[in-house]
Amino acid sequence: MAPFLNALACLIALGSALFLWRKGSSPYRNGALLAGFLVLFSVFCYFGGDINDPTLEHYPFRMLALCLCLSTTSLPLYRRRYLVLAQSLWCWIELFGGISLYYRGIDIAWTRIAALLCMTLCSTFLSKISKEMEFCLMVFWLAVWVFF
Amino acid sequence: MFKYLMLAGLALFLPGLYALGYSIFEGPSAWMVDSRTFWGTPISLFVFWIGLAHAGTLLSAIFLALDIKLDRRTALIAELSTLVCLVFAALFPLMHLGVIENFYMVVPLLDARGNFANVSSPLVWDFCCIAVYALLSLLFFTTHLKTREIPTLEKYRKPMAWLLFPLVLWVHTVVSLDFAATFVPQWRGAFFPVYFIAGAIFSGLALMNLLLCTEGYRVRLLERLQLIFSWFMCAIWIWDLMLKGSICTSALIFAGVLPQLRMVSFIRENKWGRIALSLSVLLGLFLERLYIVSPEFGLQTSSSLNWIDWGLVAFSVGGFILLFFGIRRYLNMKMEGSSAYFGEVDGNDLADAEQQELEKENVDVRGIEKPKKGFYIQPWASEEYHVLRFPLLVGFGVAIAYAFWMVGQSVFANVDFSFANIVPLLYPIIALVTALTLFVRAYFVEHAFTLSRFEKWTCAVLLVLLAACAGAFFAGGASQGSNLSLDSQPVAVDRPVSQDHARLIWNARCATCHGAEGKFNEKFVREFYPVPQKLDLQRLDSLGSDSLVKVILNGRVNMNAYAGRLTPSEALGLVNYMRSLAKEGE
Repeated sequence: MAPFLNALACLIALGSALFLWRKGSSPYRNGALLAGFLVLFSVFCYFGGDINDPTLEHYPFRMLALCLCLSTTSLPLYRRRYLVLAQSLWCWIELFGGISLYYRGIDIAWTRIAALLCMTLCSTFLSKISKEMEFCLMVFWLAVWVFF
Repeated sequence: MFKYLMLAGLALFLPGLYALGYSIFEGPSAWMVDSRTFWGTPISLFVFWIGLAHAGTLLSAIFLALDIKLDRRTALIAELSTLVCLVFAALFPLMHLGVIENFYMVVPLLDARGNFANVSSPLVWDFCCIAVYALLSLLFFTTHLKTREIPTLEKYRKPMAWLLFPLVLWVHTVVSLDFAATFVPQWRGAFFPVYFIAGAIFSGLALMNLLLCTEGYRVRLLERLQLIFSWFMCAIWIWDLMLKGSICTSALIFAGVLPQLRMVSFIRENKWGRIALSLSVLLGLFLERLYIVSPEFGLQTSSSLNWIDWGLVAFSVGGFILLFFGIRRYLNMKMEGSSAYFGEVDGNDLADAEQQELEKENVDVRGIEKPKKGFYIQPWASEEYHVLRFPLLVGFGVAIAYAFWMVGQSVFANVDFSFANIVPLLYPIIALVTALTLFVRAYFVEHAFTLSRFEKWTCAVLLVLLAACAGAFFAGGASQGSNLSLDSQPVAVDRPVSQDHARLIWNARCATCHGAEGKFNEKFVREFYPVPQKLDLQRLDSLGSDSLVKVILNGRVNMNAYAGRLTPSEALGLVNYMRSLAKEGE
């Protein structure tokens, strides 16, 4: 995908994250939003990239994982736990998507996986997540998305 | 109720058993096989049952790890369903192999002949993940059953749940790689791991809701999750449609559209309505598995299900009903009585029970109050270190040692090998070693529980059986040729067949494994378990023509014997053709 569209994907994920886990929202609302976002990300990939490019196969799911990571910063409770879980999910999608692509001759994005893994492990030590830390985490995730 | 269900299960199981016996005797030609993927009903059933096996871990372990309340009876039913599903899931890949006697090659251990399992093949990953998952699920279930008699075991459940949480996802991810790592265009999907996991959880939820209906109660949280997962599956199918231009319509109808009827209160509040919705999801997802495994299913008359396929379906469904409700009846005394359970996790009737739970949470199992926040605990002496970090460290240590040992095996000179090939094996090893360390430490060091004489004997017998299995795997299966008389004397060969004749035989008989150019068939290396020998010029020269002719005619290790199908002249022609291929490749 072109760098501009890749950056746009990042912004779309960021915008979508705003709607998740609002106070008092039901599981139905959050579930429907997640499924709706996945459709939105799929449509974005379909029109924004070359559908024959194998690296796009898991692109909507990577967007969803990024969206989940970003959304955890707005959680009122158990933020560290779900932050670690969301990053693990992203790492998971990257690793096993990468292994699938590796068998078709495409290199695994080890740098991206290593960066995510390091941040996931470091996040387990966060005792309090301040506003500044939230900002740093979001910048880190966006940097991983855009540059790695 | 359970008795009638067991009778119904028996009625399905017995004819299914006949189909199973016939298909094992006859081999893969007995069932419907897709002409492009060469996979058929056993693999569809394997993926279906392994998906259902997620119910237990999802509902019990993951909910426990995330502090989502689930009553004991529901959790035990979920854990039991996992174990029973795993029994049937493990049977079908064996059938699919067609060479059950060579099964030992999927175990990633060195065997007596110096062979090593092909860790490039997802089949080896499958074996490791499913074996460890089954073992830990059994341990988790047994621990849960025992917590009533031995309350101190309760503190080991949560670490176990955190071990099983990634493991359950790992298992189905690896199953998805069976497909994603192959050349079949329909299976190309780097999103398959997420797709398969979502499908597995969805089917597991449907199974749980169905089983709860037979128990006579419901858990609304699970019903809600079932509906939410149907939306998520529909979103994934839309992406699959965009990528490949095709969709399994019947799966979309049964597992995507019909479950939306849960929004109609009349259907939702009716027991039979809920049963119909769960059955619809299960049927839809089975058809989807059939469609994924055999893309030609339903498109051509040659790809329609025959009586063997239906028999295998009946065998697994009937067997599940029979075994699950049989064990359920047997363990009825262990599980809570109908007057004690609380089915509604999200209902008002839980208020008292939740209050009791909260009070219980403030006091640990020994009746000592938990330390308040800010209370300093020595890190090496903390409870968390003993029940989680120390066993986890041992697990990581063993996994790293195994990775180094495996990379050092000379067999990998034959195949391209990278870190990506061993990654899927690492977590199952970590989980297994961690869980064993946890319980061995609890028994011998902390004396947290004791075993009765019967249980000690059972453990001893299981250990002996495990050692016997490891020994059998190490020794390997039979590999002698079909005609031993040929081995005792030189092979009489007048003259080799012509080069063109040898090329035709090579392409017909040998290229499947060794590749048309003698450089391996990549499909073979990725989808099957043995690693074929590298046929370079140096190796061929060192073996000599006579020896190679004998190998072709008599077979060796995983190489089939061709005496009776090839003449000695044809075998010699093949040897010469191999040399010409090796020279071209130099």
